[in-house]
Amino acid sequence: MDFYLGLLQIIGVHTLLGLSAYIVLLTGQVSMAQAGFFAIGAYVAGMCTVMFGFHILPAILLASLLASLVACAVGFPALRVKGLMLVVATLAFGEIVRLFFFNVHWQVERNGAMVGPEGPEGFRRIRYFPENGWTSIDITAFIWVIVILVMLALWWMDRSRAGAVLRAVGHDETAAQSVGINLTAVKVSAMTAGGFIAGLGGSIYAHTTTHVEHLIFSVVLATFAIAYPILGGLSHVMGTLLAVVFVQVFLVEVLRFMGDWRNMLFGALIVLVMNLRPHGLLGEQPARMFDFLRSRSRREETHAAT
Amino acid sequence: MDYFFFIDLVQGFADGVLFGTTYALIGIGFTLIFGVMHKLNLAYGAASIGGAYVSLIAFLGLGWPPIPTFAISAVGAGVIGYVVYFCCFKFTPVRHPLAALMASVGMLLFIDEVIVHESDGMPQPYPSVMDHAEITLGEIWIRGDLIFVFLMSVVSMGVLLWLLYRTRLGVATRAVSQEATAARLCGINPDRINASTFVITGVLGGVAGAMIGAAVGVLSPLLAVPVTVKGLIVAVIGGLGSIPGAIIAGLMVGAAENIFLVMRGITERDIYVMLLLFVFLVLRPGGLFRSASSQH
Amino acid sequence: MLQLDRLSKHFGGVRAVDEVSLTVERGQIFGLIGPNGSGKSTTVNLVCGLFPVTSGRVLFDGEDITELPTHRRLAGGIARTFQNIRLFENLTVWQNLWVAQNGAEDRQQGFLKRWYSGNRQGRAEIEELLEFSRLHDKRDLLAGNLAFGEQRRLEMARALAAKPSFLLLDEPAAGMSQEELKQLSERIRALRERGATVLLVEHVMDLVMDITDRIAVLNFGRKIAEGTPEEIQANEDVRKAYLGGAAEQEEAASA
Repeated sequence: MDFYLGLLQIIGVHTLLGLSAYIVLLTGQVSMAQAGFFAIGAYVAGMCTVMFGFHILPAILLASLLASLVACAVGFPALRVKGLMLVVATLAFGEIVRLFFFNVHWQVERNGAMVGPEGPEGFRRIRYFPENGWTSIDITAFIWVIVILVMLALWWMDRSRAGAVLRAVGHDETAAQSVGINLTAVKVSAMTAGGFIAGLGGSIYAHTTTHVEHLIFSVVLATFAIAYPILGGLSHVMGTLLAVVFVQVFLVEVLRFMGDWRNMLFGALIVLVMNLRPHGLLGEQPARMFDFLRSRSRREETHAAT
Repeated sequence: MDYFFFIDLVQGFADGVLFGTTYALIGIGFTLIFGVMHKLNLAYGAASIGGAYVSLIAFLGLGWPPIPTFAISAVGAGVIGYVVYFCCFKFTPVRHPLAALMASVGMLLFIDEVIVHESDGMPQPYPSVMDHAEITLGEIWIRGDLIFVFLMSVVSMGVLLWLLYRTRLGVATRAVSQEATAARLCGINPDRINASTFVITGVLGGVAGAMIGAAVGVLSPLLAVPVTVKGLIVAVIGGLGSIPGAIIAGLMVGAAENIFLVMRGITERDIYVMLLLFVFLVLRPGGLFRSASSQH
Repeated sequence: MLQLDRLSKHFGGVRAVDEVSLTVERGQIFGLIGPNGSGKSTTVNLVCGLFPVTSGRVLFDGEDITELPTHRRLAGGIARTFQNIRLFENLTVWQNLWVAQNGAEDRQQGFLKRWYSGNRQGRAEIEELLEFSRLHDKRDLLAGNLAFGEQRRLEMARALAAKPSFLLLDEPAAGMSQEELKQLSERIRALRERGATVLLVEHVMDLVMDITDRIAVLNFGRKIAEGTPEEIQANEDVRKAYLGGAAEQEEAASA
């Protein structure tokens, strides 16, 4: 039972990570910095609960807000450069964050023990959940409430005008400018929102594993972040969830018997999918499965308007 | 500033410039592929280290001397380069650059994992040349193996420039990078040019991988990602698409890295190298040499 | 209404636009013509702010907008179409018009109305535009799946979605049949009746001579003539530039 709950928790956290890259990818930007925002969420939320005795909710909120602020600040200089240069810039930024936490030594005494991040040793004993008597079921439910809220928010955004604007920018920046869309504002907003969601994911992650260290937040994690939405396709938020389930359940768990060969399989799988379905598993067309409600109501509304 | 610290700085600078030539080689690889295809091959750094690992078979398994080992590294990385092209670039749609980018990231992870698997994640010794020789200039002493690394890298750059500027293949390659459509109209097959670019840059990367191994003394799977990041930084600071830019940026990054090492220690060194990139992105987003192809 | 004041744009050593001055009056249909590579498209890009100018000024309604970013110019009333159609192919026809509602009026909407759903009036305007461009039965198709002529109509509708007072049409007739051309000129006239001023950049001479009030001719980035269609047709320099240009074009077509 605990095994499945643990798996559900991992899926939830990785879905948040993937969704944080999803919203940025909609604007056509490839951000390799999501692991960095994830790390900020993890460390800051951990510090809040462990070192300063915050309740989990304000800790998560504060950490995510901080991650989104950093994302916004990175967004301005980084989005001046386009496309492939952005990949490099965000990759470097992610590494800066990782190396920053590699160097952070900040410990305070609480209940007779020294707690806090210890540089290369990592940040141990983020034990908010066990100390407050949360069971695995509580934790899993908590995570999925947040995941579902974020997914609903993104789904709602996707069918709103804002979603169409993001996609317009992602398709053709010149045309988007010419119809009056402020590129900088749109891209930086997407980056900020992405930073917030990654921060959420990171802060939850730190509390479920109780121990984080800088090596977790490497380029590999950043790759996972963008791989989920790209594998799942950018047509729908469900694609990202689908990709996370596919990777975490099928590749990581079902193929566990293959030992470390399955890591190779992950790389090979990305190569294969990009060759066979360059627009992702769900493809580029909107997934009608989930959108039938929307097109019907839209049509009725517009007919009513005429 | 005290005297010994100053000596350390100069020493670090000298070592950094010599070692920086390997970064320059990796940077040239990224920049050349970008120039020709307008795509980023993120698997390039891993392929270079992969080449060095292939040559490890010759060194450890067959007991070959260093120089033929290095040659095997170049050949191995050239072959990997073609495989990367075939798997990640040949069939992915031109109009969808994300697909090729993502596929090359997949390849990066794949190569990295193969290396980890085959080497059990342990560092392996790598041969070097002239490692007992040294030149002493006052208080500065320069390691012989670094001088060899420097010379080998410079020779490889020379051969590459000769290829690009003096051979038919090179002229065709430059034509594709400047005007792909016009080149196609002149009967140049861009597919073949792309493939040959991957092989050539692969060979170059193999040399770089071997030289990194020779300078460090060991090969480790942990090298692939830092080499990728440093190579990308070099390519961007130099201006994507510009070969002279990549050379100068490579030396710069090598020197900066060692100076930061002396000043801030090993754990913080890379932070400052990457901040250097941001300084460039803000002040000179086009890179040192604003080349025509970097404006796209 | 629009005034270019010794406007120049150099790319490296190439003078793509060289000291061009012209004035478009309110309510005019103004033609900008010239052989291939004469700087017409560059001029359009300068007017809507996609390139920074090398020197000179762009004035709109008497205000200097030379430094204004592109998206702010649209809010000021300048909209455009592209020579090679640039629709948001991943959005539906309806959404293409929806995202383009960024005119001065639309900007005054509240945050939620503007970014979530749009308002009732905005939706009615989209309906009207779909009607105007005869695309009402295609509203839920992806723009990338439309036929060529439909894409051209949608692009013009998208430019109109912000209710611009000034419209830049960059070679709207390229690739059109005779029948479509006739419809196009009717539509451009209809635009004027709706109160828009039009700058028409065109290759197809019949269309330009037929519907414009005034024409400027560019050659090698310089303005070589300006006048009514009749004056332009009689102008010796224009004929020379055009015959040279036409010959080149035939070569290009046969190559």
